[in-house]
Amino acid sequence: MTAALALPTRRVEEWKYSDLARALGDAGFGESSARVSVGKPPAGVEIFDLDEPNRPDWVKAHYGKLSNNAVSAVSLAKARGGIALRIPKGKVVEEVLSLDFSGEGHVRALLVLEEGAALTLSEAFDAGETRNAGLEIVLGPNARLDHVRLSPVSDMVQVEEISLTLARDAVYRGHFANFGAKLSRTELAIALNGEGAEAHLSGVSVLADHHADVTTQVSHAVGRTQSTQLFKKVVSGKAQAVYQGKVVVAHGANGSDSRQTAKALLLDGWAEADLKPELEIFADDVKCAHGAAVGDLDADSLFYLRARGIPEQEARHLLIHAFLEDALTDIANADLRETVRGAVSDALNRVSA
Amino acid sequence: MLDIKNLHVAVGGKEILKGLNLRVEAGQVHAIMGPNGSGKSTLSYVLAGRAGYDITEGSISYNGEDLVPLPPEERAAKGVFLAMQYPVEIPGVTTMMFLKSALNAQRRSRGEAEMDAIGVLKTVRKKAAALNVSEEMLKRALNVGFSGGEKKRLEILQMALFEPKLAILDETDSGLDIDALRLVAEGVNGLRSPERAMLVITHYQRLLDYIVPDRIHVLAKGRIVAEGGKELALELEAKGYEQIVKDAA
Repeated sequence: MTAALALPTRRVEEWKYSDLARALGDAGFGESSARVSVGKPPAGVEIFDLDEPNRPDWVKAHYGKLSNNAVSAVSLAKARGGIALRIPKGKVVEEVLSLDFSGEGHVRALLVLEEGAALTLSEAFDAGETRNAGLEIVLGPNARLDHVRLSPVSDMVQVEEISLTLARDAVYRGHFANFGAKLSRTELAIALNGEGAEAHLSGVSVLADHHADVTTQVSHAVGRTQSTQLFKKVVSGKAQAVYQGKVVVAHGANGSDSRQTAKALLLDGWAEADLKPELEIFADDVKCAHGAAVGDLDADSLFYLRARGIPEQEARHLLIHAFLEDALTDIANADLRETVRGAVSDALNRVSA
Repeated sequence: MLDIKNLHVAVGGKEILKGLNLRVEAGQVHAIMGPNGSGKSTLSYVLAGRAGYDITEGSISYNGEDLVPLPPEERAAKGVFLAMQYPVEIPGVTTMMFLKSALNAQRRSRGEAEMDAIGVLKTVRKKAAALNVSEEMLKRALNVGFSGGEKKRLEILQMALFEPKLAILDETDSGLDIDALRLVAEGVNGLRSPERAMLVITHYQRLLDYIVPDRIHVLAKGRIVAEGGKELALELEAKGYEQIVKDAA
């Protein structure tokens, strides 16, 4: 492995809370290629297998252009194959598109929504193997993407970098439901490159004994752009939840509006939550707010529910559901919202509330 | 129904109740009046079973049963209800869902069949109308954005719904204007019954114009220092707590 392709250590600031080298051991991510497939593509979705020769122009124009960190550089160098998807101009896809990552090793995917296209993407990350996935998403002017990513509990190392670029008036909504892995890292790099572009991120982590790291970087490159982030974590046992969110408002990006909130509930003494919102503002006329809080269940609320006859365990679960609720209501698609709710309920039954 | 003997309670190592005696029979409404810091809220929390209130001496008997070892949820299922001075706001739980969870938890605990959503809705609607609790309030998150009057009306609605045997009303009048107070008092009076005992805890005599008690106890420095009929409230209003406490000494 060349120096340029070395994996980051904890000495790298962005990886301080997630010890990738240690979790991977000597084997690293391995040399094999993981898989990505599309379940029953809806009409109007164009698919290209990256293993095939003669890449079309839209693939050539966008593939590998957005990767911006050490781990995605590795997946770009080592991944063979993968998939590229295009929603042509003006096409509004009504059905949900499923994107499933599986197998061991590195894998890449590219999703392009051309001007005015709209799609709901349901992403599943198989728990069985150690994997490093790279997903690039390009949203043209006025494109709309609703993205829900659900990763079940895994004893493996599971890393994904999602890089997005948004043109004028494009809107991205992403929800990330994480239930933990030996090491789980979901990294989002979002470039709001056109005026009126919006990115709304939300996520829940319910961790019984695992690790889950959501790291985001949102760049307001131009003015009149909007970003919101709402991440909620429930951490028990010896689990560790990490949220690092950096928002950069570029010089001249006036009228930008950014809000980020991260909250964690620690259910017992060994659990850990590292919440680090960060703001870098180079413009004058902007609205930015951020906040982070770590706490236990509210004693007054717990007493109130119990005094009304609700047993302690049930009262605790009710309050945990209530804590997560606003992050879940951000999922626009009702079916996907119920799927995530179900996964959250299952996970809550495993945590020692 | 309720028999408290020589009750001593400490909070964080500090003794708040210092030998309180109180007996309330079924069908009666008793008022506990007292100045700030006399131990009124401590008494209500101890009866509801809140953690952190250590009973160092004495006993609480409820229908012949020792109440002390029971967790709050079991007391509720057995018919103890505390209308709180500051009902908590819980975002993310709708009022209706909370009422259903609480009602069914109590029924389960008593070995009764749970009610389905429609059954709960019908029961709640019937009782809500009388207290001017709107459908819209029931859909909102529990107590979130409710006015002081709305919160207290919801407390009384719960009392009507759970049909407790012993209802403790902790400063139910605080934060209410006269119209809201009247509405809440009407709700409470409608729930007076030969099987039910009520303990109305208040700082001011005003509430007792609307909820007329059978007996009044004056609590000061952790003890009952004076007792009497409903006229005692007027005497308190005229003389003030300080004089009454002095007279009693």
